[in-house]
Amino acid sequence: MIELRNISKQFGDGVPIVALADVDLSVDAGEFVVVLGPSGSGKTTLLNMIGALDSPTSGSIVVDGTDVSQAGRKELFEFRRSSVSFIFQSFNIFPGLTAAENVQFGADATGRDDVDPAAILQSVGLGERVDQFPHELSGGEQQRVAIARALATGNPVMLADEPTGELDFITGVQILELLQKQAAEGQAVLVVTHNREISRIADRVVELSSGRIISDGPPAEGKAALEELHW
Amino acid sequence: MVRRPRARPPSKNCTGDVMKNTFLLLRWSWRDLRKYWVKVIAIALVIGIGTGAYAGLTSTANWRRDSNVASMELLNMYDVRFELATDSSVEEGALLAAAAGIEHADWIEEGLERVIRPTQVDASTATDAVLVPGQIVGVDISTGSPAINGWHLAGGVGLDSADAGAPVVLLEHGFVFHNDLPPSGVITVSGGEQLEYVGNAMTPEFFIVVPENTTSFAQGTYAGVFSSMETAQSLTGMDGAVNDLILTVTEDADRDVVATEVKAAISDLGVGVNVIPREDDPSYRLLFEDVENDQEFFNIFALLIFLGAVMGAFNLITRLSEAQRREIGISMALGLPPGRIALRPLFVGAQIALLGVGFGVLVGVAIGNLMKSVMESLLLLPIWLTDFQWSLFFWVAVVGFVIPFAAAAYPVWRAVRVKPIEAIRTGHLAARGGGLAPAIKRLRLPGDTFGQLPFRNLLRAPRRAVLTALGIAAIMAVLVGFLGAIDSFLGALDRGTSMIEGSAPDRMVVSLEGVLPVDSPHVAAIGNADSVDGTVPVLQIGARAQGEEDVDLLVEVMDLENEMWRPALTDGDIATVGDGLILAEVAASDLGVGVGDTLRVTMPVRTGPSSFSFVESDLTVGALHESPIRFSAYMDDSALALMGAEGAANVLYANPAAGYGPDDVQRELFSLDAVGSVQKASASADELDDLMAQFVGILQAVAFFVLLLAVLMAFNSASISFEERQREHATMFAYGVRVRKALRMAVVENLVIGVVATVVGFGGGLLMLWWVVNVTAAETMPDIGLMVELSPMTLATVIVLGIAAVALAPLFTARRMRRMDLPGTLRVME
Ligand SMILES: Nc1ncnc2c1ncn2[C@@H]1O[C@H](COP(=O)(O)OP(=O)(O)O)[C@@H](O)[C@H]1O
Ligand SMILES: [Mg+2]
Repeated sequence: MIELRNISKQFGDGVPIVALADVDLSVDAGEFVVVLGPSGSGKTTLLNMIGALDSPTSGSIVVDGTDVSQAGRKELFEFRRSSVSFIFQSFNIFPGLTAAENVQFGADATGRDDVDPAAILQSVGLGERVDQFPHELSGGEQQRVAIARALATGNPVMLADEPTGELDFITGVQILELLQKQAAEGQAVLVVTHNREISRIADRVVELSSGRIISDGPPAEGKAALEELHW
Repeated sequence: MVRRPRARPPSKNCTGDVMKNTFLLLRWSWRDLRKYWVKVIAIALVIGIGTGAYAGLTSTANWRRDSNVASMELLNMYDVRFELATDSSVEEGALLAAAAGIEHADWIEEGLERVIRPTQVDASTATDAVLVPGQIVGVDISTGSPAINGWHLAGGVGLDSADAGAPVVLLEHGFVFHNDLPPSGVITVSGGEQLEYVGNAMTPEFFIVVPENTTSFAQGTYAGVFSSMETAQSLTGMDGAVNDLILTVTEDADRDVVATEVKAAISDLGVGVNVIPREDDPSYRLLFEDVENDQEFFNIFALLIFLGAVMGAFNLITRLSEAQRREIGISMALGLPPGRIALRPLFVGAQIALLGVGFGVLVGVAIGNLMKSVMESLLLLPIWLTDFQWSLFFWVAVVGFVIPFAAAAYPVWRAVRVKPIEAIRTGHLAARGGGLAPAIKRLRLPGDTFGQLPFRNLLRAPRRAVLTALGIAAIMAVLVGFLGAIDSFLGALDRGTSMIEGSAPDRMVVSLEGVLPVDSPHVAAIGNADSVDGTVPVLQIGARAQGEEDVDLLVEVMDLENEMWRPALTDGDIATVGDGLILAEVAASDLGVGVGDTLRVTMPVRTGPSSFSFVESDLTVGALHESPIRFSAYMDDSALALMGAEGAANVLYANPAAGYGPDDVQRELFSLDAVGSVQKASASADELDDLMAQFVGILQAVAFFVLLLAVLMAFNSASISFEERQREHATMFAYGVRVRKALRMAVVENLVIGVVATVVGFGGGLLMLWWVVNVTAAETMPDIGLMVELSPMTLATVIVLGIAAVALAPLFTARRMRRMDLPGTLRVME
């Protein structure tokens, strides 16, 4: 589903900042992958490459059959519309739309007309809050709306950059649980975090340091059930 | 209870830190400036246009008043004039002697005897026939220009004592200017005398030319011929005689006493005399009256442009400042006092304020120059004082200067009233609560979320949307009012011209020297002229109708069934007019009468071959005609019996024969006896057209600034909206929404604002236009009946501008949308 070959990314012209160096990565459908690394290690950059928000300096990226590194502007829009869906650390849900309408937006963006926003909100535990506006929701609830919106797109790749970053631990864990459930239903889910403890719920952890992958496999301390995690 | 002393931040009393803080603040503000400079300039322009247009438009009254006074002073206009009755005269020196003999003779500063007589002037050039009535004015020229009512030479050379008695004259400047005559040449006056004119001059009595029985726009159709006393006397057959005296009085004099005493002294000479104090001089009176009247008209527009600009600027600056809301919240959290927090926004405000006032002066001078150039060609004065009116500019500049500070500080003031955390929280200031959005959340609009978003965004920040719409609406109102006023003026002109031309577009009006029997040989000679194909005898009389408001009329009595021309009626029927009056609609409405009503009219009844006396009689209103000229009225010649004037005429309509033009008729008839003047019937309308064109020129030039203002506000607003929505747009793009679609949403949002602004502006504009037409113009130009008129062009301009330009403004952000740094924008945590 996701194939990265020799991806490098540099910022700046003078003394280049190397954000990613020679990254190879492949992720299959149905996989739940946590990208772990300290701040500044290149996690966000990696996710942005996969989601075609940014382009690599060198290397090739094929996602859902699209060669993102070669695609033109028009194809990139098409790709983002039909292949990936984003969840942001700062939610980025539309303040002018209600919870249900924000979810509906995900469907509208991809042109799906068979989506029931209330049902999706129900599935993320927000069945009661469909008609609320974002400013009436807590952070965790807003992030659930964001996930519901991503789900509504029905796209095969889900990219979440620090989705728990602004949430307390328990809420964060609940959010991850939701994302994991999506992977179980066949989506490729990439979750970025700097929290090693949280990474333990994944089958597969890709660890980044200074723009390089330093390990790729099951969590070092072993996979843990949700109840076993501690702060 | 023990109070703990409050801890003070230690850095506060440390000079070095303050310096460093200030330095940091300056650097920070410099970065702000680099980020905002386009907007700073654009908003400053909005303020500049608002204040500058105000100053420019309101300045003309001061300019004209100052220039009038200075011009009158330069040429030493008389304080009081004594005009002997028509055809009377006294021996040269008698008038001055009479004045010198009065009790308060010491109050008289200077006196000047004159010879003034009507004449005909042929100033035709090789290409144009210029044949007009006029006036010969002869004065003592031993010192060059007369001591009172002097001549200001505008071209050629002046007269000196050597010219006394010689056939050498000056022509009035306005006449030369409006007819494009060369600065010197030859003219022929009544009696066939050829005169050499060596220059052209301005003089107070001719600053505005208002011969009897004409509209006040006769600058080009009435010739002032200025000469030495001797020349005038010999031309008019008044050798050794004078018929006019003008005086100036000392500063401490009681002029009215002087006037009364001199009048009595002149009456003692056995002649009738008419006293004209300076303010009753038609030129003087109109010159000053017009100042107030015209100004009133421009003041409304000036104020509205200013208010629209102020509202727009406030809104834009507030939004600019709100964009920093997160930083405001952080500063609050760090415990900075509100004053310090407000410093950065205030700095941006200061830049706008300073630039705005600077632009204001520039725009004010630019608009002022426009007004000035039009006024200088409308009013030919020797002195024009058109300094920038700082006193008028001052108060709007103060407002224009304060607004940016207030607008910049307002969001800070709002922010410091809430808890810092709320200020930091997402979009607190941009969307406190959900605006009105919750109220309509059940009210679902058709379409997908892309269709809902523009409306939701508007409703989320209703105050901002309303302010934006109102700012643009005020500008639209000005535009509608402005363009509508132009339309209404031009419409009135069109109606007037179309009626005057009617079935005989080249109809000539031949005024006779006095009232003649229609079967006299003089009249016959006119009808028999080669260039003339048929005449209609007309008796033109002055009358005064009494009603809700008294209205002076110039009644043309003629056979209404004639073959050549008749007034076009809007109400009533020629067949049933009978002995009734045909009035202009505006006259009927001012008098408060309609067709069939009876009207008390003071009108002349013949008492001798060419003498009339005024009697009151009741006339019915027979019909209403199309012309907007209030004094214009008509009667059928069957009514001549009422006046004892059967078969009498003082005017003939004459149609050019086939193969002849109006010029030919003028040339041929001018040489005939008993012909006073020969003018195309539409001549005064044509001249009115020319003058109007210049007036309309000002309006259009100002309209350009108004357009610029509307466009600036629309683009500023779109640009700031773009920044406010940047993260929303980035999120959409991350979801694969095309730039085109995002733009479409922005366009829809602006379209709503544009439609609301246009509808409100249109309504406001119509109200303003109604007021201008029915109140301002009715008061200031009672002789012209305006109707509220809007041309399709105006409608199209307003709709295109108000709706299309406002709606399409977001397209100018397309490039920025396309180049948006998506990862960067999405990462920004607001
Ligand atoms: N737009 C940019 N310009 C310059 N450097 C950048 C930019 N975006 C990221 N970087 C740099 O790239 C590196 C990786 O950043 P990022 O992927 O955001 O790290 P992470 O998400 O792991 O914290 C950092 O050193 C960061 O400073
Ligand atoms: Mg990151």
